[in-house]
Amino acid sequence: MNSRERLLAALSHQEPDRVPFDLGSTQVTGIHVEAYRGLRAALGLPPVEPALCDTIQQLALPDEDVIERLGVDVRGLFPRNSHNWGLAIVDRGDAWEYRDEWGITHCRPKDVLYFSVVKSPLDEARLPLAAVAAHPWPNTGDPERIAGLREQALAYRARGQAVMLKGVLAGIFEMAQRVRGMQALLMDLAANESLACALLDKMLELKLAFWEMALPHLADVVDVISEADDYGTQTSQLISPRMFRRLFKPRLAELFARLRQLAPNARRFFHSDGSLRPLIPDLIEIGVDILNPVHITAAGMEPAGLKRDFGRDLVFWGGGVETQTVLPFGAPSEVKENVRRNLAALAPGGGYVFNTIHNIQADVPPANMLAMWEALREYGDYAERAQPD
Amino acid sequence: MHPLIQIVYQNVLDGAQDLTAAAVEAALGAGLEPGAILNDGMIPAMREVGRLFEQGDCFVPEMLISARAMQTGLEVLRPRLVQADLHAQGKIVLGTTKGDLHDIGKNLVGMMLAGAAFEVIDLGINVSPGQFVEAVREHRPQLLGISALLTTTMPHMKATLQALQAAGLRDQVKVMVGGAPLTEDFAREIGADGYSPDASRAVTLAKALVE
Repeated sequence: MNSRERLLAALSHQEPDRVPFDLGSTQVTGIHVEAYRGLRAALGLPPVEPALCDTIQQLALPDEDVIERLGVDVRGLFPRNSHNWGLAIVDRGDAWEYRDEWGITHCRPKDVLYFSVVKSPLDEARLPLAAVAAHPWPNTGDPERIAGLREQALAYRARGQAVMLKGVLAGIFEMAQRVRGMQALLMDLAANESLACALLDKMLELKLAFWEMALPHLADVVDVISEADDYGTQTSQLISPRMFRRLFKPRLAELFARLRQLAPNARRFFHSDGSLRPLIPDLIEIGVDILNPVHITAAGMEPAGLKRDFGRDLVFWGGGVETQTVLPFGAPSEVKENVRRNLAALAPGGGYVFNTIHNIQADVPPANMLAMWEALREYGDYAERAQPD
Repeated sequence: MHPLIQIVYQNVLDGAQDLTAAAVEAALGAGLEPGAILNDGMIPAMREVGRLFEQGDCFVPEMLISARAMQTGLEVLRPRLVQADLHAQGKIVLGTTKGDLHDIGKNLVGMMLAGAAFEVIDLGINVSPGQFVEAVREHRPQLLGISALLTTTMPHMKATLQALQAAGLRDQVKVMVGGAPLTEDFAREIGADGYSPDASRAVTLAKALVE
């Protein structure tokens, strides 16, 4: 069974030979460059200057030797976007800064691990509605964004690997927050709905422009299409389920319907951090096949309960190891035990792809990454039957 | 409750910014005590927002617009208020820890505390242990609040507590911490005085700590 067959079986809710493994196929299932250097050293692989698939999050693109050594099953296609393309980074002395194609200013103090948004272009308190249309939006339908990706996908396929394709902008909610400012957008949603909706419509339009350009060239060579947004928090949701259903769900439904038309054979992957349980039935209804990152420590996201209630309809991709305490701060033995328990809850019957919860961050000790991987090999073998606790 | 104060209360609760300002003007125009408008109208409205949030009947957007309405109302009221009313609960210095540029959680906590009559001194994001110590020395707050969204920046919270200790200031200020990756256990381990999982409970915690 090759990697692609393994993944496709899992996505069809069947048990392959072992649980498929993703490391680095998207900008939400990856590994921070510092952790990546540590991982390579721990595996006894020579040091390299890693290519980044995401400058903002400082995510490494895993090299072929790591992919082979760890048996990673999924490869990502990274269209050119504001996290990896044409970044003019300016040295501000104590910080790195750049303004992206959306007009958003990102800053990374030199002793800090990540870039963060420090200035949004449409952050005026009483922003006129006309400012949305007047903003110089990036051309997401530019074919240059996918140059070379078809050849890359074919090469991965020839090696028996599964292929993931992501879009060029974050979720409609998250992207609207970045251009408007998070607080301002959240307040618009509650108090200036026409402005909020104009921004959400613009994000949907820019997403569709990308997919309508890209998928006619790529649909036949990709297995999974990834979309994302963030609706959950650690304890609840950022917005009420009522607001989600009224303002977001119809737009997401339009997006997923279009993806289904443009790429009928690809599975639809959706990423949202945090506590999401009340919204999961809505996501299933509008055509989400795969849920990521399965934030198992957020409220209502216990893996056994998720599998029981939604496992027939959804593939879980992530949730393989608790990432907020165990992976960075636990002992390797605790990491292994945590992986065993999560696999026992999520893997039976297939419908499961192993990944951490979101990217592996810079503070994860290499010994814990190895313990995670060893546990995946040990307990993720379907011939050995992962038994529920 | 006086009907004009009732209108102030309702507009803060609804997050109606401009109507809150107008309602405060109207209440002042009718000769009502500024302290009564604040203590009987605006603060109870924010308390109700906090209660609804904890109950899951109101979410961050609704909480933010209520806090904004409260702030707008306060701007109208401020010149007429005595300091004792405005900052009846005491003073808190707030900031996001070194290495961390996230601020919405910390801002929400600040707004909710301001809405509960605390004086809030916000140091912003990426605040080093030394800057926290300096601010405690300068402002002499009863409370210090530290926020972190990243596991990679949580260790700076402990460093801040140690720096306060080294500066001989630890006994003079109660320290509360919060942020998505934190837990009650972590707060206890690093020697903080309290932890809150959200902005509304941060107000309850702050009040308990200053009592």
